[in-house]
Amino acid sequence: MNDTLPWSFAWRIAKRDLSARFRGLRLLLACLFLGVGAIAAIGTLTGSIERELGTRGREILGGDIEAEVWQRPFTREEIKAFAALGRLSFGMRMQAMASAGANSAPVELKAVDAAWPMVGALILADGRIARAPPQGSTFLAPGAAERLGVRTGDSILIGGQKLVVAGIIGEEPDRLAEGFSFGAAAIVPADLPARAGLTAPGAMYRSKLRVAMPNIRDPEAVVETLNQRFPDAGFRLRTRDRAAPGAERFVSRMGEFLVLVGLAALVIAGIGIGGGVASYLEARRTSIATLKVLGASSGDIARIYFLQIGMAALAGSMAGLIAGVLVTPLLGQALGSLLPVTPGFVFDPGALLRAMAYGLLVALVFATPPLARARDFPAMALMRARVAPLAANVRAVLLPVGLGLTAIVTLALASAAQLPVTALFLAGAAAMLAFLAGLGKLIRSLAAKAPRPRRPLLRAALANLHRPGAQTGALVTALGFGLSAFVLLAVVQTSLEANIARRVPARAPDYFVLDVPRDRLEDFRAVVQRAAPGAEIRAVPALRGMILAYGPATGMTRVADLKDVPEGAWALRGERGLTYSDEVPEGNSLTEGKWWPRGYSGPPLVSIEDGLAKALDLHIGDRLTISLLGVERTVTIASFRRIDWESMGFNYALVFSPNAIADAPHNLAVTIDLPSGRKASALLPSLVRALPSSSVIETGTLLREARALLSQMSIAILSAASVAVLAGLAVLFGAIAAARASRTYDNVILRVLGASRRQLLLLQLGEYGLLSLVLALVALALGGAMGWAVIVQLFEFDWLPDWPRVLAVLATGVALVLGFALAGSLPLLRAKPAQALREL
Amino acid sequence: MLTLGEGDSAVAILKGIDVTVPQGQTLALLGPSGSGKSSLMAVLSGLERASAGSLTVAGEDFARLDEDGLAHARRGRIGIILQAFHLLPTMTALENVATPLELAGVADAGERARAELEAVGLGHRLSHYPAQLSGGEQQRVAIARAIVSRPTLIFADEPTGNLDAGTGAGIVELLFARRAETGATLVIITHDPTLAERCERVVTLADGRIASDRAA
Repeated sequence: MNDTLPWSFAWRIAKRDLSARFRGLRLLLACLFLGVGAIAAIGTLTGSIERELGTRGREILGGDIEAEVWQRPFTREEIKAFAALGRLSFGMRMQAMASAGANSAPVELKAVDAAWPMVGALILADGRIARAPPQGSTFLAPGAAERLGVRTGDSILIGGQKLVVAGIIGEEPDRLAEGFSFGAAAIVPADLPARAGLTAPGAMYRSKLRVAMPNIRDPEAVVETLNQRFPDAGFRLRTRDRAAPGAERFVSRMGEFLVLVGLAALVIAGIGIGGGVASYLEARRTSIATLKVLGASSGDIARIYFLQIGMAALAGSMAGLIAGVLVTPLLGQALGSLLPVTPGFVFDPGALLRAMAYGLLVALVFATPPLARARDFPAMALMRARVAPLAANVRAVLLPVGLGLTAIVTLALASAAQLPVTALFLAGAAAMLAFLAGLGKLIRSLAAKAPRPRRPLLRAALANLHRPGAQTGALVTALGFGLSAFVLLAVVQTSLEANIARRVPARAPDYFVLDVPRDRLEDFRAVVQRAAPGAEIRAVPALRGMILAYGPATGMTRVADLKDVPEGAWALRGERGLTYSDEVPEGNSLTEGKWWPRGYSGPPLVSIEDGLAKALDLHIGDRLTISLLGVERTVTIASFRRIDWESMGFNYALVFSPNAIADAPHNLAVTIDLPSGRKASALLPSLVRALPSSSVIETGTLLREARALLSQMSIAILSAASVAVLAGLAVLFGAIAAARASRTYDNVILRVLGASRRQLLLLQLGEYGLLSLVLALVALALGGAMGWAVIVQLFEFDWLPDWPRVLAVLATGVALVLGFALAGSLPLLRAKPAQALREL
Repeated sequence: MLTLGEGDSAVAILKGIDVTVPQGQTLALLGPSGSGKSSLMAVLSGLERASAGSLTVAGEDFARLDEDGLAHARRGRIGIILQAFHLLPTMTALENVATPLELAGVADAGERARAELEAVGLGHRLSHYPAQLSGGEQQRVAIARAIVSRPTLIFADEPTGNLDAGTGAGIVELLFARRAETGATLVIITHDPTLAERCERVVTLADGRIASDRAA
């Protein structure tokens, strides 16, 4: 027999049976709304930021290609090679100190030539559009102007040179590509650094060169050629396609994490969908049986209810999409400076389609089993008392569920930026679902096998866990997920807070000072002691160089020949800070090899950080070749060191014996620790006066910024995770409501037989209490493990949960569950037995 | 033969039933509670499959059909009226009556349902929901629903069981009148001897077996 009802007829009946307000399917609607809404919002936000970064690449970079070198100008040959590609613009970046009267402030000096900006425009705060500042003038970022107390037209001093403030910066076209800065920007003419003596040999400055290519060429291919032509130049080359790689990486990582949280919310929502659809169809049991009496086949039933549930799923998902789009600007605002660009109201069809697909697929996977069960409700259900739901027809379930799952996994993996993380998440979610389903079965069978208590209420409580039609399975999954989400949230939040507190190191110096000339150290000490008596000063030689080759003397590996940089060997990328010392640096400890004696004069040696040594598979006695101001030097590896990165002082991966590099021109980097609690307002102005070419970085400002960044990250994580918790709560409430419906009968009969309200409340309390207790323990383990993965594996923070607070949150969750369960049975308890009986 | 349950809990509900009902006959199944009347009706109407034995309805061997096959076989051929009415609560009276026609793919289901409701005197209640109808009205909708597809066989399980005597009598009149107009076979399950006497034949069940089979 194959004459199943045509879809149009099935739709007519489905529409009739579906009340206008989707009564009974509200749990499905709520769950899909939350899950799809979260994914749509996240997708829209990250998609719009990534697109913005992609399309504005040329403007962000200020050209098609940018080259950067440390501590030297570009050579004639290099300039010739770049000039052949297109128009050039030169510039320089460095830290400097600016002063105006009694005020001083560290600034990020951005020296630009007349060609700047080649792409985009500099917009001043007063609305004027400007090019590079004229001779003897500067454009200041609002922060710098405020610190110096100057306005347009006032004068300031940088490196002893007088500059007139020609305007305050409103929008700087290439700000994003400049990356993290230690002070507010001051845009100055290209020749200022040299005139102010800021580019003396050894000074910490970066030369920049940007190319605007007239023809549309593939910049990546050009970069490849340049790297091959100048393998040891130490260029850091960037193209318009990856103008702000740091921001891109951050956004895509954060986006992926948020999508995973959204998916988690959807998985939780899926359980709600399953539960919601099951109770909806359970309530439709009589209707289904009646339709069968009237001649509907199983196929007809499947079509009718598939259409109904499909309609509800579509409605819930659409509502979620709308909410997702509406909430995106709010999300953008909440994340604030964490995002490289602030998205306004965006409509991203791709992200919305993906969210919709996730929603409908999850609905398909979770709604199919109850639908398959309903399909097989016998017509005889009308004539005989309630029976336990039939087992779902496995064959009918297998195909749609299998297809749905495959589609979800494919979609998630196809759009994953970090495949292993996404794969791990999917496997984890599947394992958790399987575990909770198994636990539900176990609790059921244990309750069935347990000896029957003598007290009738206790007996009833126990029986409720395993009787036919019991909601134990759904409750265990919902409670398990819900409580785990509570624990996860608490663990993540307290760990983040502790990390923020801890990452502000107790031992952080108050100031970093760069470019202190070696022969002026004593003057420097005297100035500091006068302005801040008792301040502690630590000075180390600061050089920059690039690793060119490493390995055994007989067969060294050239970095230029490497296709990929080995994992953990970040020090191979571009120029790195170098230093030399007679002693093991403070806070470091040797793990292998020996330190050179004071005044050592043998073959030049180096000590390497142990993590880097492991990543490069280095051994004591191996060689290392570096390029220092364009000169190659080869040294022997004498020792490996462990560095305590938590101490925020000078931590160098490469420390040389003084005779290896001390002859190269260089300055000192100095830290200043003020006596605790002391402020030294005179320090900055005195330093600027005494050492105009040195620059100061204030740790306090830096730490404040880092703290703000971390707390914004925690807002992002928490707001995404709250969606998962909300979904969990919806599921929980749904499961409790479904369970309540099936036990109304018992309660009424028990009331008729003389049970008091208090006794009935105790009965509920016993049942849910028992379940909650078991599941609280499970949630502690599961939520804790997930939190650990998020904190340690994904964000690479320290594992620092505040357990008393986590337990308190869990207890609140359990109390909420019990409260809801009890509140749900109150109306029933208030009713008079006779009246309740009539309503049964 | 009908046995429910398995193993130790198996209960034989119907045993050795052998009955033939000619087309157009009215037959009453009489017997005390638990005698197997409703179960026999469930088997005869294809709501339940017999554990053993054969059942032929209008030339079709019901014993060979599965649940879905029975559903198809019922369409347009068998009308069933239940004691508790079992109207679909989310549908109006008109929609309730139209449903079996729609399930059978009849194009003018709406008009035919309207005509049938008018025939049972509910032309003014078309758009009312079951909850807005009295018990008697609900049962009249159920009768209209059972008859609308002009079945050759109508089963009525205690059709007046949930109604007061006056309303019940009206329903019985209506049922017999509509049957007479359509010429269908009517099987009524009842423990009301007066109602049974209105049928041409009375089969009495006791303990799952036929105790007597006589003309009324």
